[in-house]
Amino acid sequence: MKSLNKDAVIAVLLCVIAALFYWETYYIPVYEYASIGSEIWPRVILVPLLALCVAYFVQSIKKGKTEGGGISGIGDFFRTYQNPILSFVVFFIFLLTLDYLGMLIGGVLLVFTLLTVLGYKTPKALLIHAAIAIVTVGAVWSLFTFVLQVYLPEGELLRLY
Amino acid sequence: MIIDNIMAAGVAVFHLHNLVLMLIGVLFGIIAGAIPGFTVTMAVVLTLPFTFGMPPVTGLSTMLGVYVGGLSGGLISGMLMGIPGTPASVATTFDGFPAVRNGKAGLALGLGIWSSFFGGLIGACVLATLAPTIASIGLEFQPWALFSLIIFALTITASLAGDNMIKGLIAGNFGLLFAAMGSEEINGVDRLYFGIDSLSGGFAYLPVLIGLFAFSQLLSDVEDPKVAKAPLMEKTATAVKIEHWNAVKAIATRWVNVIRSSAIGVFIGVLPAAGSSISNILAYDQAKKASKHPERFGTGEIDGIIAPEAANNATAGGALTTMMALGIPGSPLCAIMLGALLIHNVVPSPLFITEQPVLAYSIFTAFFVAHFMMIGMQALALKAFIRITRIPMYTMAAVILVYCAIGTFALNNNSFDMWTLFWFGLLGYLMKKFDFPLAPVILGVVLGDIAELNLNRAWTISSDVTLFVTQPWSLFFLLLAAFSIGFPWYQKHRSTQTWTLTFVPAMLVALSVPMFMMGTHVRTGIGVVMVALALWMLWRAHQNGWTPSRASAAEHKVHIEPA
Repeated sequence: MKSLNKDAVIAVLLCVIAALFYWETYYIPVYEYASIGSEIWPRVILVPLLALCVAYFVQSIKKGKTEGGGISGIGDFFRTYQNPILSFVVFFIFLLTLDYLGMLIGGVLLVFTLLTVLGYKTPKALLIHAAIAIVTVGAVWSLFTFVLQVYLPEGELLRLY
Repeated sequence: MIIDNIMAAGVAVFHLHNLVLMLIGVLFGIIAGAIPGFTVTMAVVLTLPFTFGMPPVTGLSTMLGVYVGGLSGGLISGMLMGIPGTPASVATTFDGFPAVRNGKAGLALGLGIWSSFFGGLIGACVLATLAPTIASIGLEFQPWALFSLIIFALTITASLAGDNMIKGLIAGNFGLLFAAMGSEEINGVDRLYFGIDSLSGGFAYLPVLIGLFAFSQLLSDVEDPKVAKAPLMEKTATAVKIEHWNAVKAIATRWVNVIRSSAIGVFIGVLPAAGSSISNILAYDQAKKASKHPERFGTGEIDGIIAPEAANNATAGGALTTMMALGIPGSPLCAIMLGALLIHNVVPSPLFITEQPVLAYSIFTAFFVAHFMMIGMQALALKAFIRITRIPMYTMAAVILVYCAIGTFALNNNSFDMWTLFWFGLLGYLMKKFDFPLAPVILGVVLGDIAELNLNRAWTISSDVTLFVTQPWSLFFLLLAAFSIGFPWYQKHRSTQTWTLTFVPAMLVALSVPMFMMGTHVRTGIGVVMVALALWMLWRAHQNGWTPSRASAAEHKVHIEPA
């Protein structure tokens, strides 16, 4: 059996997701008074979506196996997508720690870490990164807090408000 | 009454505070538009959080300043470096860059700027005159027609994804699905939240938009470590003196090109989903066909600079017309503008201009004024642009990413929105990697609730589904949707297969049916004209022996990209 191409795998994945959503529509409460039940609209979307996913699968099977994309193995994958992966990880950690660090400290650390991960790592560059992080985040935080009166998350570490 | 509204709008827009913010917006927009990889959409998204605390007129004027500036800014890098700052300026590079290399940088920039200005003014005039008319037609739309209009908006968006139409339709359906998640408005039921409480409220759509467009774009920009560390532009631009007077004189002698290109821009803008990334190329193509010297195109021809720049700014007027008159955003950029209106408790619909005339006319006025500001700010923006191009991409990306997070939080003072930003940023990035267009998801998310509401209203009035095809406007939009699904095949085979010669005539005949059903003299007349045009096209094809036009299909290929 021929191995599936990239599109076929995505099509199968999308079919599964659409099927899960369809299954979930059975858990939507039904009220007698409603002229149209709340589950109808999601099903109106999901039926053609499932059909489209199947069509996408058939189309991708017909297309056959695609030429190699030039990525071989996990190591190569990580090297190719190193920057986006690290950016997502850093941002994820920023969100996880937001309640503790707050937007000011968390934001400064986020910018500094991203700059260091994505850019140069010399002592001079680190100093510049720190300065950029403090100035840019500090400026926007001040603008929101003092001018726009939007109180950004302060965090447990530093109580400001 | 109209004069009173214009006067009241003028007072609001010409307030000093408002003008200063608009100037800043225009400057920011031009610089953002000039930087490749930094789209106009991203610039507008980043401006949005700063406008929350402002009165509606001020907030929207500032954002319109960014919008207009951004559309014009793309020409700077396109001409000076040969790299279009935005997809809206792709065709500008075809003749703008050669003109600069021929030593006519000042004139080329002047032509681009003034063509943008005149195109924008024509777009603004159309916006001010056409939007109330379309809105009055929009009042005729029953729920069936509004639902069908949304179907059309989604199918045409997907069809403009070219060979990826199935992916476009899948993306559009997922957009609708995301909008359906969480608290449902009609019956007050929480749905599709998989037992996760934080999902029970659904997704706020602006974090979704920011994630899909800005977050994913930033990650794409830094994907290559070498490119990320390099300055935004390797080549260094030098400041040039813009030759305003010579440019205006050159444009004045080519006013037909300006009008034609602007008309193309407005028409493309009015269509849902099609934007300035398409109009600039179509206008360039038409200018080349109409020119007495098509062979000069690509070598620094003046008409080749005028056409795309007039068209891309005029497109904004057309797109705003649809959004304000019908509440249907014509592009992802307009979806964000729609979000800005909603934040200020303004809901665009056919009733918007009637119910909020001062705000509506303020938008018209601000759009008009922003073009004058754009002219004034170009020299300053050029200097700033030259400095900014020395900054490495990774620095910009890191700073903008945290601005996105702060801005997203500020939308509703809600940390969950930042998680939405994160997950949709990831989704947007993956979609780009797997060649799924983003625009249909955006429109699906924005239009999902409206579609459901109108479907519900239609069903409440009558459970007769044939009303979708017996109501003239509903039939009109469904026919357009059906033909838009066939559009990619038509486009692909138009220069090779005979059946393509009947596509447009068939569409005209089909669309004439709802026109006749409407019954009024004017619309019956339009129906007759459509049938006559279809017959003439068929007769011409017959005269040519049913031989498809050999005009290069590649020249007409359009592919939707974030504006």
